[in-house]
Amino acid sequence: MEKLIVKTENLNFSYSSSKKDIENLNLRVPKASIYGFLGPNGAGKTTTIRLLLGLLRNHSGKVRLFGKSFTNNRINILNKVGALIENPSLYGHLTAIENLTIASNYRRNISKNRITETLDIVKLTHSKNKKVKEFSLGMKQRLGLAIALLGNPELLILDEPTNGLDPKGIIEIRQLIKELNSQYGTTVFISSHLLSEIERTCTHVGIIKNGKMLFQNKVEVLKRTQSENLELEIETNNNNHSMRIVKKLALSSTIIENNLISVIIKQKAMIPKLIDELRKNQIDIYQIKIKNNLEELFLSLTENNKI
Amino acid sequence: MNAINIYWTGTKNEFLKLKRTFAFWLTIISAFFIPAIYLIYYLLKYKSLLPSNNINPWDKFLNDQIMAVSSLLIPLFIVLITSLIAQLEHKSMGIKLLFTLPTPKWSIYYGKLTVVLSMIIFTYLMFFVMMLLTGSIAGMIHKELKLLTYFPNLGEPLKLLFRSFVSILGILGIQFWLSFKEKNFIIPLGVGMVLVITGLIIFQAQESIYFPYAYSRLSLFSLSQNIENLLWFPKVLIYSVGYFLFFSIFGFINISRMDIK
Repeated sequence: MEKLIVKTENLNFSYSSSKKDIENLNLRVPKASIYGFLGPNGAGKTTTIRLLLGLLRNHSGKVRLFGKSFTNNRINILNKVGALIENPSLYGHLTAIENLTIASNYRRNISKNRITETLDIVKLTHSKNKKVKEFSLGMKQRLGLAIALLGNPELLILDEPTNGLDPKGIIEIRQLIKELNSQYGTTVFISSHLLSEIERTCTHVGIIKNGKMLFQNKVEVLKRTQSENLELEIETNNNNHSMRIVKKLALSSTIIENNLISVIIKQKAMIPKLIDELRKNQIDIYQIKIKNNLEELFLSLTENNKI
Repeated sequence: MNAINIYWTGTKNEFLKLKRTFAFWLTIISAFFIPAIYLIYYLLKYKSLLPSNNINPWDKFLNDQIMAVSSLLIPLFIVLITSLIAQLEHKSMGIKLLFTLPTPKWSIYYGKLTVVLSMIIFTYLMFFVMMLLTGSIAGMIHKELKLLTYFPNLGEPLKLLFRSFVSILGILGIQFWLSFKEKNFIIPLGVGMVLVITGLIIFQAQESIYFPYAYSRLSLFSLSQNIENLLWFPKVLIYSVGYFLFFSIFGFINISRMDIK
């Protein structure tokens, strides 16, 4: 059995007595995985992370990190964890270096070199002596990440780490996460409300809605569960004619809007056949797009699922 | 890593955080404020302030100022400085980070409390030095004030300042806990100010010995009587230390169990 770095057992928490914010949550984060914790806004992602780190006191259930109970091994566990929760905690009147120095003093045994190294990793070396209140949102996020990386954590917990970053920054963070994971075997727990982000980075995924876990497994498994049908969007110059041809091929189709239809197929091999048939009938094709079914699945899981 | 090392690191970090903050300047301004006013007062009204023969003019100069700050300004300073220093954390959402770092929570709470205490002691010392400095300046400008003829009796004002300092420990413990707990700094500030003023109103009642916000004023009692009999440690100071210990311990237990949202 694979070793679990994060494990919760029937975790429960509520901010108020009227509503349960986290309900019987059983997280399973395997060692050396990149675990995507996915859910719409307000699903309980940040609350869960706060429970994992002991910022909130759980009402019932257990939190185990590195196989140990959090309450009894707080300092030992936190030594191996780097975390960035929501907006990074930074002292605006201090510089980037000073912020890192304070965090490294608390961690102890962190060399000056490591501070410059982390600044380099998050590409903030040029602003190291700038006051943090002059930083942009993206720069603050990077500095928050640098603080999380200071202690070479075995477990990196990132709460919506790409918030406020530009597209280049998002790609850089994605690469960094993969690098840390492949080179150092760092286990990464990353929360997001964007499926595309999780899909590209993660090996495992947990989907949460209203404080309940809806799905938890490897990303491949998630992909497999919905790969039976592919949905195509085809833009042509003639909807009705196209639909007649699609029907002849024993496929179902619906009109989405003017000159745009949606066709359901079983396998990708159908795509060239369909194009050949349409072209044979003098239909102009302007674009064909395979719809991201994972996105659909996520939406159906989190929206249609009445809990 | 032993406890002393952990405590020292926590305290050192709290000092680092003060860099370029207003909290540091507040201590300087507070220490300078009343001596500056007294300097102006002595320079403008020196004719009515000339000492009688064989009377050391410093006694009045120093004791009046300590009387002036003790009832209201020092308690308000405590309310302000605790809110200001705790606000450094709240503004940066620092507690969230600090409580996820591998350091015991007590090192953060007591490290910060140590810094606040040091700043208060620093303000007291600065205040004392400023009084001597402004007195000398006044004496230099108006020789007839005889402030340069006499050497100040330092024992009594030091004793008074010591009593004043111990008397505010009680409200320091309360205000520090409240400021650490409440993100909104209007709450500790508002509560503190109202209670300080309440203290001023009720200090003459016998029961005010149980009300820590009146202690700064109570610590001055017996001043009007024979100053030689001034105790270093009157009963009110024992109560103040008691409140301080209680709220420092209770406050920490409360904070360490608090949900950080």
